Amino acid sequence: MSSNNYWKGVEELDQTQEFVTSNANEFSEGLPLEQVFSNDDATRANRRDFLKYFGFGLGAVTLAACNKTPIKKAIPYTEKPDNVTPGVPLYYASSSVSNNEGFPVLVKVREGRPIKFEPNKEATYFGGGLDGLGHSALLSLYDTNRLPGAMVAGKRKAQEWSKFDKEVVAALDKTATSGKSIAIITNGSTSLVTNQAIEDFKAKYSNTEVVSYEPITYSGIKRANKKSFGQAIIPAYNFDKAEVIVSFGADFLGTWISPIKFHSDYSKNRVPKDGKMSKHYQFESLMSLTGSNADVRVPMKMSNVSQHLIALYRELGGATPHQGMEVAGNNIKAAAKELEAAGSKGLVVCGSNNEADQLLVNAINMMLGAYGSTIDSTNYYKGQSADEADFTAFLVEAKAGKYGAVITIDANPVYSHPEAEAAFAKIPTRISTAITLDETSVEATHIATNLHPLENWDIKEPYKGRFVVSQPTISPVFNGRAVASSLVAWSGGKVADKDETTHAYKYTKAVFAKAIGGDFNKALELGVVENTSSSSVPSFNITGGAAAEALAQVKGAEKELILYQKVGVRDGAYGNTPWAHEMPDPVSKVTWDNYISISMPDAKAQDLETGDTVKLTTKSGDIELPVLVQPGQTKSTYGIALGYGRKLPEGVKNDLKDLGKNAYGLVDMSAGYADYTVGGIKIEKVPTTFKYEFGITQTHYSIEGRDIIREATLDEYNKDPMAGGHVHKPKMISLWDDYDYSKGHHWAMAIDLNSCTGCSACIVSCSIENNVPIVGRDEVRRRREMHWLRIDRYYSFEAPAKKDLSMSIVHGGDQTVEAGEQMTKEKVMEAYSAASENEATAYDYYENVRVAHQPMMCQHCDNAPCETVCPVLATTHSSEGLNQMTYNRCIGTKYCGNNCPYKVRRFNWFRYNENEKFDYHFSNDLGKMVINPDVTVRSRGVMEKCSFCVQRIQSTKLAAKRENRKMKTDEFTTACAQTCPSNAIVFGDLNDQSSEIAKLYANERSYHVLEELGVKPSVQYMTKIRNKK
Amino acid sequence: MYSADIRQPLVTGGKTYSDVTADICRPIENKPTSSWWVGFITGVVLLMVLAGTLAWTVWEGIGTWNTNKSVMWGWDITNFVFWVGIGHAGTLISAVLLLFRQKWRMSINRSAEAMTIFAVFCAAIFPLFHMGRVWLGFWPLPLPNAFGSLWVNFNSPLLWDVFAISTYLSVSLVFWYLGLIPDIATVRDRATTKARKFWYGFFAMGWNGSAKSWGRYEVVALILAGISTPLVLSVHTIVSMDFATSVIPGWHTTIFPPYFVAGAIFSGFGMVLTLLLIARHVMNYEAYITSEHLEAMCKVILLTGSVVGLAYITEFVIAAYSGYEYEQYAFANRMFGPYAWAYWTMMFCNLMAPQVFWFKWSRTTPWFIFVISIVVNIGMWFERFVIIVTSLHRDFLPSSWVMYHATWVEVGIFLGTFGLFFTCFFLFAKFLPVINMAEVKTILKDKE
Repeated sequence: MSSNNYWKGVEELDQTQEFVTSNANEFSEGLPLEQVFSNDDATRANRRDFLKYFGFGLGAVTLAACNKTPIKKAIPYTEKPDNVTPGVPLYYASSSVSNNEGFPVLVKVREGRPIKFEPNKEATYFGGGLDGLGHSALLSLYDTNRLPGAMVAGKRKAQEWSKFDKEVVAALDKTATSGKSIAIITNGSTSLVTNQAIEDFKAKYSNTEVVSYEPITYSGIKRANKKSFGQAIIPAYNFDKAEVIVSFGADFLGTWISPIKFHSDYSKNRVPKDGKMSKHYQFESLMSLTGSNADVRVPMKMSNVSQHLIALYRELGGATPHQGMEVAGNNIKAAAKELEAAGSKGLVVCGSNNEADQLLVNAINMMLGAYGSTIDSTNYYKGQSADEADFTAFLVEAKAGKYGAVITIDANPVYSHPEAEAAFAKIPTRISTAITLDETSVEATHIATNLHPLENWDIKEPYKGRFVVSQPTISPVFNGRAVASSLVAWSGGKVADKDETTHAYKYTKAVFAKAIGGDFNKALELGVVENTSSSSVPSFNITGGAAAEALAQVKGAEKELILYQKVGVRDGAYGNTPWAHEMPDPVSKVTWDNYISISMPDAKAQDLETGDTVKLTTKSGDIELPVLVQPGQTKSTYGIALGYGRKLPEGVKNDLKDLGKNAYGLVDMSAGYADYTVGGIKIEKVPTTFKYEFGITQTHYSIEGRDIIREATLDEYNKDPMAGGHVHKPKMISLWDDYDYSKGHHWAMAIDLNSCTGCSACIVSCSIENNVPIVGRDEVRRRREMHWLRIDRYYSFEAPAKKDLSMSIVHGGDQTVEAGEQMTKEKVMEAYSAASENEATAYDYYENVRVAHQPMMCQHCDNAPCETVCPVLATTHSSEGLNQMTYNRCIGTKYCGNNCPYKVRRFNWFRYNENEKFDYHFSNDLGKMVINPDVTVRSRGVMEKCSFCVQRIQSTKLAAKRENRKMKTDEFTTACAQTCPSNAIVFGDLNDQSSEIAKLYANERSYHVLEELGVKPSVQYMTKIRNKK
Repeated sequence: MYSADIRQPLVTGGKTYSDVTADICRPIENKPTSSWWVGFITGVVLLMVLAGTLAWTVWEGIGTWNTNKSVMWGWDITNFVFWVGIGHAGTLISAVLLLFRQKWRMSINRSAEAMTIFAVFCAAIFPLFHMGRVWLGFWPLPLPNAFGSLWVNFNSPLLWDVFAISTYLSVSLVFWYLGLIPDIATVRDRATTKARKFWYGFFAMGWNGSAKSWGRYEVVALILAGISTPLVLSVHTIVSMDFATSVIPGWHTTIFPPYFVAGAIFSGFGMVLTLLLIARHVMNYEAYITSEHLEAMCKVILLTGSVVGLAYITEFVIAAYSGYEYEQYAFANRMFGPYAWAYWTMMFCNLMAPQVFWFKWSRTTPWFIFVISIVVNIGMWFERFVIIVTSLHRDFLPSSWVMYHATWVEVGIFLGTFGLFFTCFFLFAKFLPVINMAEVKTILKDKE
């Protein structure tokens, strides 16, 4: 027996038989199993209970079913393609889509989807940058309105290529037999492949004529060069070799010829080195991006450009007629003096499309010795080579019924030429190769849908001897076919339907072997083949004197209209790429619209304000547009941007539809060339109930005398490298310990205000890298653009004379403005003008504004005001100096945004993805392919801001870790720094003493914006030095 | 107890104890009057506006408001501070005046406290719905969670707000309910219907009116008054820190805590006057809410209005003296910038208008007081608008300077909160004794 002396009951004490047996069981009393399994009423569900259980069950299931689990499909590779590793991007050398002539870029491809253009840093001649439109044009690949394949008129349905080819060939053959001609309209193609295919096509159809057509031409330069030295070319301009640049209305940093390359070249001499920097004079009528960067900017009427050129020619010692009017005060004299001193390191460019003007420019450059130095006519520019005279001749003959068929390749004349539509109607067979239904293809009888450039092989020659090779980066999204293959197919070549890429590849390879030679694969890898010859000086056969004589009689117009291109939208070919429209114009900061820009004196004289509607009438038509008052614009000039008023396909919705007005009809063709300066105009105010509201991202134009942008002149800088930085600031004492960054990395950014031109390419690059939503015009009107990076632009003007102003107390009460003082306060500038005695010229000061650009993004402050106020710690500081956003944690109190002194935080006011209202590219499956998978797409109600491209930092770190090495600072950079054509932005690790950023941080010009707040930003700006007295 | 003959009686009209009970229980025991229906239905309609506009905001996003990249707080936080401010008078009257033994408070404290609670309800809507993701509105609460080290930021004034307002609301509710218990018991005892007997009996919590009960009641009331008194100061101090601890010129000001508290009392009394003047007229309570009450409250308004006005001027002088250009610009911009109309509306309503209360006629003429009380309410709304919007719309970098105008949704939400407020208030007036019967009976024979 056990030692237990206690017993449970008498049964145990007695050790009855019953007890012994039951005690052996686990449950001595047995379980009421029968009761449970029996069918008696206690447990059987009766009718009421059944209904209860049933009701509960139904309710529970219904509730559970309400929460629909989204079905997400992820399909793994059954066979992994070579080189494709999910999560690892591939880079292919290619050509920028928006630059027809060819511009080397890299295409970043993730899992078979091109997601971003990046500059090709190997192609040093082109400068290693990219522009805003170049980035935006990526969306044309993922445009849901792209055509599905070969189509014929009437039935807008894709049909088989073999059947389609038969129809096309029949139509072309009919043309040949009826004795009519076939016209091929190209965009002045620099594509060796397309040009070869055209040759092949001509072999079969000898009645073919090739007509080059481009909406914007530089025929004046070509014609003048033909006369001057026998070559109808646009030369290559080397701004990097120029010490003195004088531009007459040429917006070479924004839109003129090849601005990305010019940007990088120009910026090389803009940062003072050894006490020197280049000097830039700009004579212009509208306020252009280029003008905003000039050291000396002189307002000029473009219709008076000839007089200015004559004056300059005379000052340089050329023999000219003396009746030339006095122009531009001392500025021509000063420019001439500096040009003379610079000699062959001088460069004069002119935006006029008039042959005579360009002849005189040639003469001036010849006198300076610019040819062979700053101008290269040997390795000349081959792009944008169309001459409008050819197209005009084509139109006349087309109307007369000469052509039986027309094939348009990368050209859209019905949009950009007012007479093209009527002429095209006279041609029975109209074959288009467009990839969407543009204005020309909508009228076509046959559409041989092209491949998107990113789906195709090509070799382009933008400069003589410089070739840009591109390769497909994605398999064709739709059933298009390369134009070259189509042309070959129609001329009897074999282009197998299933094998067309292979045909294009073989064909391109053959063209490469024939025209260039060498290793095709190597060329594909690098993207650029250079095969140039040394620059020689052409021999001139016309004198400047004769040119000046011819121009002496030209009289400027009383009022003139300037048709210009906007930096973001350019000629309008990529009208359906919303990023380009949301990018604020670098000067006016207007998004989405075109408008009539007018000068301040005109606005005052005609009682016009921004938003008033005006009707502008020229000889060739009229246009009604809202007005934008533009400081810096010359009196009596009016500007309208081309590239708007596109008739986009029906599927296009939102602000892209009916955007702006088409001003191509106003281009003056009366003198036999496209003159973008139109005289003899009339302006009428149109009464409207409401003022038109622009989607404008910056509404206050002056800096209010605040120490935000520091400036100094070159002389001051040479005497004292700290010039401009001697600002009295209180000494800050911090209550907190500083962060310790001694271990690991310490990320920082430096922005050189001298190099930055404000071109805004960084804005678009940043948006694409970081999946920043496009919000549309209406949201920009409500001041809700989402850009993580913006460029602030401020105007000021110099007081010519002393004035006592009576100001309101908000602007500091009565003020005395000394002669020569820079006025930076909006109200002071207005009061200064208003205090003038002569009412007619009171606001002329606004013609002479000085401009400053400043990129502004999250400053990643060490003592960040945003971090302390977030109630849920959604924004925090990293050990590497980054100010981080945790989107998942953000509840959207917006307190951080309010407390940010730089106002760089952006809030998701709506759900921008999956939203009909914001259907720009986030809302459809095709558009979503452009999303960067490394960056979260933010949901509604969270805050976002610049992250210093933390995803790039992270992937570079991981790559270094995998390879078991230390990460190099200059191994990667942020999206903005990477794309900057002028290298104004430098990003890196301050802990790495050898890095560029560490050197820049030690530079005397460096300063922090708003450092008196003690927030300790990680972005440093460098004083802007202007090369003037 | 001795009382001087020159003092005015606290309750006029020669009311007896039973008159008091009958008068005050009348609205509860009778069918609602037509003016009650008008007020109540108006309130409910506005409440529907609130429901609609809030639903629209949550459905579409805060984008339906007009707040933007620079002015990220607009009418929402303006309304929040406005309602919190109004919520101040109740506790001040019941707690602070109780401690100071100001017996005149007895006939107005009940409705003032009710007003406080309803105003805090209205206020709470704004910080909740101004969140981008309102469905995560519980995240600022320091709740233990399964996400590891995920915690709230005790540095953030918004978190302090959460604590300050929830404390204030709970203490005010308890204080109010405690005061109601003897009166609810009175209604229970007079009840003629079963339902009334049950519900009032339930909420009376077995009150039997014994000396012991009264003794405990007095002690608890005193303790709660002691707890509430610092809250009167703390809530608006903390609300003011939302702004004072930031870096934005116009917000970053050490004067804010006392200035906001004074402003809150000012606006609270303004609203109490508005409501009582209506209630007294509609319910014929002139005998209980006498012109003595009105006069006393007018004096408080005169005092706090002048304190607020002094703060406005001090702020301006300090900015001018600071030598700090951003601060100087911010204040100059308030007076003469694009929102000058709002600034001068505020100055007129808060500083100048209350000065009429130096004159006895103004303090004793109900319709005139009513007009001024509305002016004070408007002025105090504009004060918050001026502080929030004019500071944000032009801060450091002129490139980000913007204008801000509310949309119909924002206006709708603001009007809607009046709906919530009045719906609650009319229900209160119908179902609970508006005047503290038990306390008023103690001063029936008393003088000021």
